This record gives sequence, C-alpha cells and structure tokens, in this order.
Amino acid sequence: METVAGAGRVRTGIQVLDERLNGGFPRPSTLLLFSDKPTEKRLFAENFAVQGAIAGETTLYVDFFRAPSLARAELSRFGKYPAERLIVVDAISNQLLLESTERYRIKDIDSITEISDVIVQAIRETRPSRIVIDSMEFLADHFPKDVVLDQWKRIIDEAERAGSVICFLFINWTYQERDLTAIRALSDFIVEFQSSMRGGILRNSMRISEMEEGGIRTNWIPYTFKDLIGVTVYFPRIMVTGPFNAGKSTVVRALCEKSISVDRMGTTVAFDYGNVNITGIEAEVFGTPGQERFEFIFKIFAREVSGVLLVIDATRPEDFERAKHMLDLIGPRIPYVVLANKSDLPGAMGADTIASKMDLPQGTAVVPTVATESKGVRDALLILAEMIIGVR
Amino acid sequence: MGDAHFPTNYSILLAGPPGVGKFEYMVAQAREALRQGERVVFVTLDLHPNEVRARAKALKLDLEPYEGKNFAFVDCYSATASERPEPPVGKKTFLVSSFSNLEGIGMAMSKAAQELGTPVRIYFYTISTLFLHNSTQAIAKFFQIVTSRAKMNMGFIMYAVHEGVHETMTMNLLRSLVDGVVEMRFTDIMDHEVRVHHMRGFQIDSAWHDFVQMPGPAGGG
Repeated sequence: METVAGAGRVRTGIQVLDERLNGGFPRPSTLLLFSDKPTEKRLFAENFAVQGAIAGETTLYVDFFRAPSLARAELSRFGKYPAERLIVVDAISNQLLLESTERYRIKDIDSITEISDVIVQAIRETRPSRIVIDSMEFLADHFPKDVVLDQWKRIIDEAERAGSVICFLFINWTYQERDLTAIRALSDFIVEFQSSMRGGILRNSMRISEMEEGGIRTNWIPYTFKDLIGVTVYFPRIMVTGPFNAGKSTVVRALCEKSISVDRMGTTVAFDYGNVNITGIEAEVFGTPGQERFEFIFKIFAREVSGVLLVIDATRPEDFERAKHMLDLIGPRIPYVVLANKSDLPGAMGADTIASKMDLPQGTAVVPTVATESKGVRDALLILAEMIIGVR
Repeated sequence: MGDAHFPTNYSILLAGPPGVGKFEYMVAQAREALRQGERVVFVTLDLHPNEVRARAKALKLDLEPYEGKNFAFVDCYSATASERPEPPVGKKTFLVSSFSNLEGIGMAMSKAAQELGTPVRIYFYTISTLFLHNSTQAIAKFFQIVTSRAKMNMGFIMYAVHEGVHETMTMNLLRSLVDGVVEMRFTDIMDHEVRVHHMRGFQIDSAWHDFVQMPGPAGGG
C-alpha cells in the first residue's frame, strides 16, 4: 500500500482531519461509518461523496432510501459539483413505481444477489475513487445475516480491485456483538458517530480509529454542518482565560472577525465572546475576566469546555502563580495551550523560561504571542485544536 | 377525555382499531397544547402533511398560524409517495426519505425539536406503518431509543398504534416500552370510547368514557 503522504489518498475536505490522516484515507480502503443510536453520520458520508466529485474524482453513491432526484438535491447542499462525477445507484425507483433514468438501478429489491450484482457491476465499470453505501442496515434488516456478510465481503473485494475508498453506513438495530466484531474486522477504519441533545441543542461528534495495529486513533471530534460549506470541525466552547490584564480580550478580538465584550472602563467584567472560522475549524470563543472576584463566571464557563487558551503576560512572573491556580480550576483533563503574550515587550521571558518558572508538565505548548498585532494567536488555537482532536 | 393533559418527560402509546378516532384524539391533544402555548411536532407516516392540515382544520385546529413557530412536521410520507415533496414556503417541514430509514426518522425528530425549542410534544402517527418496512426487532430498538431520547431531551411523545394488525407479542412489547397506555374502542352500537389504561407514577381512573369526535369528515385514526 502507498505510504507517501498525499499520494493515492482521498481527502475528506475537512482540513484538520486530512492533516491527521496524512492527506486523507488511503486508496484502497474500507470505512465503517458506525453508530448504535441515530446520529448525523450521513452528513459525513454525503460530504465525503461531494468532496470527491468536486475534486473531479468519480464517486459512486448507492442509495437504498432516496430517489436519485432527492439524493442529488440533498447532496447539492454540500456544494456545487460536476454532475457527471457523481453516479447514483438507484435502488428505490422500482419500489416507488417511478421511472428511472439511472445507468445503474436495482429492479428487484427483494433479491440480495441482484442488489450486489448491480453494485459490483457499477464499481467494475466506473472504477470510482470513492463509494458510499447508504446504508447497510437496510440489507441487514431485509436479508439473512450470513448472506449479508458474504455480499458485504464481495463488494469490499470489488472495491479493493478498483482501488476505491468504500464507506459503509451502518446503524446496528439487529446484530449481536460478535457479528459486529466480524464486520469491524472487514474494515480498515472505523468512524464512530454520536449525536446527543442537551438544553435543546444537538451536538454531533465522531471518532476515527484505524484497525491496523499502531494506526491512527482520534478523540471524539465535534462537528457541524452548514449549507454549501459542508461539514466542519466545531468546538462549541473554547475558553480564553488568564490573570488580570494579560490581554485576554485582545486575544479574542484577534481570533474573531466579530466579537463582543462586556466590559467596564476597559476591563472585562462579564465575558468576551466571538466566533472563529479558520481552516475548516469553527469555534465559539469565550473570554473570562481575570480578577478573582469573578471566579464564579469562570466556573460557569469551565463546564463543557473543549479546550483552554491560557493567556499570561510574559513580562510579569509575579502573576504566574495565579495562572497556575486557574489551570487547577479547569481540571486535569481539559487540553490547554499557554499564550506567552506581550512577548515583544522588553523583559518578556521566553517559552522555556516560562515553562520552568510555572513548573508546567513536560511537553506543554507555550506559544509566544503579540495579541495586539494578532501574532501567534491563530497558531496557538491550531495547536489547541490538534490537541483536542488528538491522534495516536 | 380528549383533553387529558399528560406530563412532560413522559411517553404514551395510543392503541385502538383502525377508524376508532386515534387521529382525532391526537389532534385534540395537539390543539390543546398549542392553545396553551406549547410546541408540537407531528410525525406523519400515514398521511400527506396537506391531508393532516385539512383534517385538522375540519377538527377546528388551523395549523397555519403555528407552522414554523410552534408547530413542525416530520414528513415520512411525501418522499415515499410518487409525487415530489415540496415543502410550502415559510413552513418548517423535516423530510425523511423512507420508512426504512429509521435513523433518519429519529434525527428528523431531534432536529424538529431543536428548531422549535424544547420542550415539545411529539405526536407519532402511526408506528404501525413502520412494521410494513422493517423487522420487529429493528423497530423495537428504534422505539426504545427514540422514546428515551424524546422523554429525556425533548419533552413528551405519543405514538398511535393500530390494534388488531400486530401480533400480541409485538403489542405487549410496545406497551412495555412506554410510561402509559391510552386505549380506544368501538361499542356495540359503533360509538367511540377511550380510557387511560395505566400511567406510570399516577393513580388513574381507568373507566371507559365516550369519545365525541369533533364535527368534520368521518373516518381515519
């Protein structure tokens, strides 16, 4: 298999993910997009398909649920793509007694042999770089398990011969754990999905694990979807904190095109807020006040935080203890990056000096910044994003 | 009896033979909820949203002023009918592509609840239709997950189920997965009756009561 970064790989279009994956998923490979409860995994699959078509790759979409016209209409929400690059295998028109003009269509939905014959033929003839099977639970619920697993393998083999990256969407309604183990064993990557609702807001996240020993393994990555932009990694709460007058509000302003600050005579008394959108990452950034008397606000924001940017004044070692205390309040499990701000001023200490004076754990990221000139601030956020996403 | 007010974070199964008035009962429930300023999601599998609108109107519930604000459809019907689904302008309808797409139905309900804001009252009409397209095992797991999500994170859910078309085992399974059961039946002279069979955590009177339908076209439910 190709190991050169970027060569023979298909990009997901989600930049931070593609970087983690050394340029995307390798061709050929088999992906299992899995959950055991309803999630928005289809968003990921559709985004993956449309990204392929946009890149000029042939993409095959096998749809057991939607008529091709509806599938195409819904896929166009992910961006404008050349229509001829996306081939839909139509499994439904015959069921709905609709005319089908698709080159590949399944006439008898009650025959799993015919279903897989049509899919295999489509793969053989079009040699797509990407294939989406939406969804395997349709087959799992309509045919005997052994037959489904046999055909599953047959489709994987054909995809491998064509050099395709094939994604199987699968929500498990009916199978036992040992069947799932067999299905996982057929896959090179498992992408697990979660959707949960808290306070009336839906949150989606996914986690990628490579099955190969020592392969890639990410943390749960939160994501969101917007029409025409597609899927982006989304951090609902990044906290910017640090001692009084370290420059937290300036950091929030430097990160965000638009931000608001609730302040009194130039000092933040409630919070700063802004929305960041850089290189495929979207984040809601909250800045807290630095004074001790506002610690209650700090505690409110510290709930459900994805990560923390700790801003310190690199010229004021006397504040370091306070900064350490704030890290303690956040707790040990939240990723954080230290921003050594005002690093352009005389007397500013270097990253190593700060790390040792603050007695930070080995490997803690300390990034010199000049927030007033937007220097280093975005880099710090990207480092934090990579820490949150995580990779083994 | 049609205006019994059920608690939030609660699930109800509404069981009765076809034609007994389950749809009318649900509309009466939805009308009362909307009148009190609550939000309502109607999951339709058996009827086109336009038919639900028309029949609700005949039952003195004009959905027009509520749609997109306090009321939303999850439409599992249109995409499977041969006609093209065209959501009316300004109204919020969450389209599900197929009766087999159980995951899609579950997520559309969550998205509708998010759009309107929680808590919501969800009316699911009918769970019976799913059995034509999915295995009982798949529906049971779907039913259990969606019911617990609806109760925990969305508010209240009521499912209509046709009596007499499912096996006893299936009915018992559905009944065991909800907090309460409301039953409807025909009397000897074809009048309609309704009772609350049981409600977890509540002392209730399980006597039968007349169910007087509102004026309008007969049938359904």
